[in-house]
Amino acid sequence: MADLTGLRRSPLDGLSADIRNGAAGEQSVRLLERPWLTMVSLRVDPRSEAARRIEQVLGTRLPRACGEVTSQDAHDVLWLGPDEWLVVSQMGADVLVKGVSDALAELRDTGAAAHAAVVDVSANRTVLEISGPSARGVLEKGCPADLHPRAFDDGTAIATTLARIPLLLWKVDPNLFRLLPRGSFAPYVARWLLDAMQEFTPDRPALRGA
Amino acid sequence: MLLLNCPWCGPRDETEYHYGGQAHVPYPQDPSALSDEEWAQYLFFRDNPKGPFAERWCHSVGCRRWFNVIRDTRTYEVLAVYTNSEPRPQVGAGVEAGGSR
Amino acid sequence: MAKLLPEHPAWLWRDPDPRSSYDAIVVGGGGHGLATAYYLARNHGMTNLAVLEKGWLAGGNMARNTTIIRSNYLWDESAAIYEFALKQWELLPAELDYDFLFSQRGVLNLAHTLQDVRDSTRRIQANRLNRVDAEWLEPDEVAKVCPILNVSPDVRYPVLGATFQPRAGIAKHDHVAWALARACDALGVDLIQNCEVTGFVKDANRVVGVETTRGRINAGTVGLVAAGHSSVLAEKAGFRLPVQSHPLQALVSELYEPVHPTVVMSNHVHVYVSQAHKGELVMGAGVDAYNGYGQRGSFHVIERQMAAALELFPIFGRAHLLRTWGGIVDVSPDASPIIGATPVENLYVNCGWGTGGFKATPSAGWAMAHTMATGEPHELNRPFGLERFTTGALIDEHGAAAVAH
Repeated sequence: MADLTGLRRSPLDGLSADIRNGAAGEQSVRLLERPWLTMVSLRVDPRSEAARRIEQVLGTRLPRACGEVTSQDAHDVLWLGPDEWLVVSQMGADVLVKGVSDALAELRDTGAAAHAAVVDVSANRTVLEISGPSARGVLEKGCPADLHPRAFDDGTAIATTLARIPLLLWKVDPNLFRLLPRGSFAPYVARWLLDAMQEFTPDRPALRGA
Repeated sequence: MLLLNCPWCGPRDETEYHYGGQAHVPYPQDPSALSDEEWAQYLFFRDNPKGPFAERWCHSVGCRRWFNVIRDTRTYEVLAVYTNSEPRPQVGAGVEAGGSR
Repeated sequence: MAKLLPEHPAWLWRDPDPRSSYDAIVVGGGGHGLATAYYLARNHGMTNLAVLEKGWLAGGNMARNTTIIRSNYLWDESAAIYEFALKQWELLPAELDYDFLFSQRGVLNLAHTLQDVRDSTRRIQANRLNRVDAEWLEPDEVAKVCPILNVSPDVRYPVLGATFQPRAGIAKHDHVAWALARACDALGVDLIQNCEVTGFVKDANRVVGVETTRGRINAGTVGLVAAGHSSVLAEKAGFRLPVQSHPLQALVSELYEPVHPTVVMSNHVHVYVSQAHKGELVMGAGVDAYNGYGQRGSFHVIERQMAAALELFPIFGRAHLLRTWGGIVDVSPDASPIIGATPVENLYVNCGWGTGGFKATPSAGWAMAHTMATGEPHELNRPFGLERFTTGALIDEHGAAAVAH
């Protein structure tokens, strides 16, 4: 396949360079986009042999509970539902999808059932990272989930909303959250975040439309 | 604002859910065998009790799973949450109810 | 404090104890119940009748609605019953000799999308065929009718135009109830408060009376006019209704100088706003999604309604909220009312008005009275019987004209 990466555009391409390059508030909160991460949607019965084969390919267990994220060098696997996961990977999507597909085909060759769906959804979402001691304070302005550390552990990810937009919220550590909104909502989420960050970044001029 | 306990995701605000009305309304075994009156009952008539009510909710922005809640429609107190594969718990029986059949 | 508040004019009617028997009983002392009793007495000469109210007169949805009166509904059956009501509204202040501040200041229904524009245009044509006044206004004309409305194209949901019904407007809801109560009382109707119906007395399948918290009362005919509690009463009488009770919220601001000369409704961003005579801005929201009898709803519904109001009316940005509240509305599958016979003989029902019953108070009462007095539906409510859910002849006002009140 021809390499099309030169043609691709991030959902936030149309927004100011601030967001793409990391918007500021040096001390307290910082926003940047991490576009182009590989994302693969997995649906499979976690008790099945197919799930076990997929875990072998990924080199990590599929998480079994809401919030849980399992990781291997190249992949992070986020729990989306009791039979649904999102693999966020450094690997190419085609490699990952082929690896899983081949393992399932092998299983099917033995005569076993291998019901699973493996889909490249890399273009579905983008990733925003908000970091700094005030990151949680910014998110709490518009997220209905309880983000206090007693309820939201480091290294967990949940599906929730921010400013009424559905997204995945992934707490990497107390000062770093990843937000995975769908592409069409990403500019709104980014603008909303920049606005919500204002009070923590007093030296920053007010946001103008791009 | 209701706080509902998703069986898979735990307590989340009402805004994360979609309401699905009365629970335990099975699709007719043989729709074509129903009289017009029976079809109307299935299509348009639902219980509307003042008191405990078994209803469906979907965690639409979370795990996207449907589940059941027994909630008091007078106090809005959630009395039970259970999955579709579990039987209806015996809670709230004997409280004033309308249309509870 | 009591002296500062308008006096509740309970002296305008008697507060009788229930007698043991009446020719007819109306269950529910809200606007529709009072109107039913009024027209039973006025149009049909039935004066040996009682209105039973579990609380105080007009303390339910009659005290909680946003008082909008209009008749610009899409379907012929709806236009007929709402336009009949509007014509009665025009007559009632003189007829009842009571100025309940009926103000025909017009209603704008905004269009924010091309589909809104198409639907609105269609509704205007339908209204004109039914002799309901209706016109289409372009954004600059909308701004002339309501200068504080933001008609700039630079908003999330720009105003692409609006339908306008000049004869529509608002009325002071509690005064309407008091006017009807006084007229009922003068005609000999017993208005009995603190009298909750707890059961129905039946002879085979015929209702012959009601059990109440103040004892058994016999009756030849019984009408259920209980809005959000209709299902609870129907259950006691042994049948089901195709309605679901939902909380519907509204709010008022503090009092302001007159700034808002008309009524503005927007289905798309979902808010409706008028300014009452005293000066408070009156706004309503959509229903809460869940069933509820709590006369309160969820905060996010009001929050979103306020966001919609602010987008349409930036001038409200510094207004202060005074009160929010909820009522219990009985929503039918086709967003149209149910008025007519029930599976129980001599028991009739008027319910299912959902979020828009206030405007229909006169015609609901007129049609219900006719149905109770004659045993046959009036031409106005013939299409609105329970049987339509079996025949399939629905009057589907969802998304047509019924929502957003």
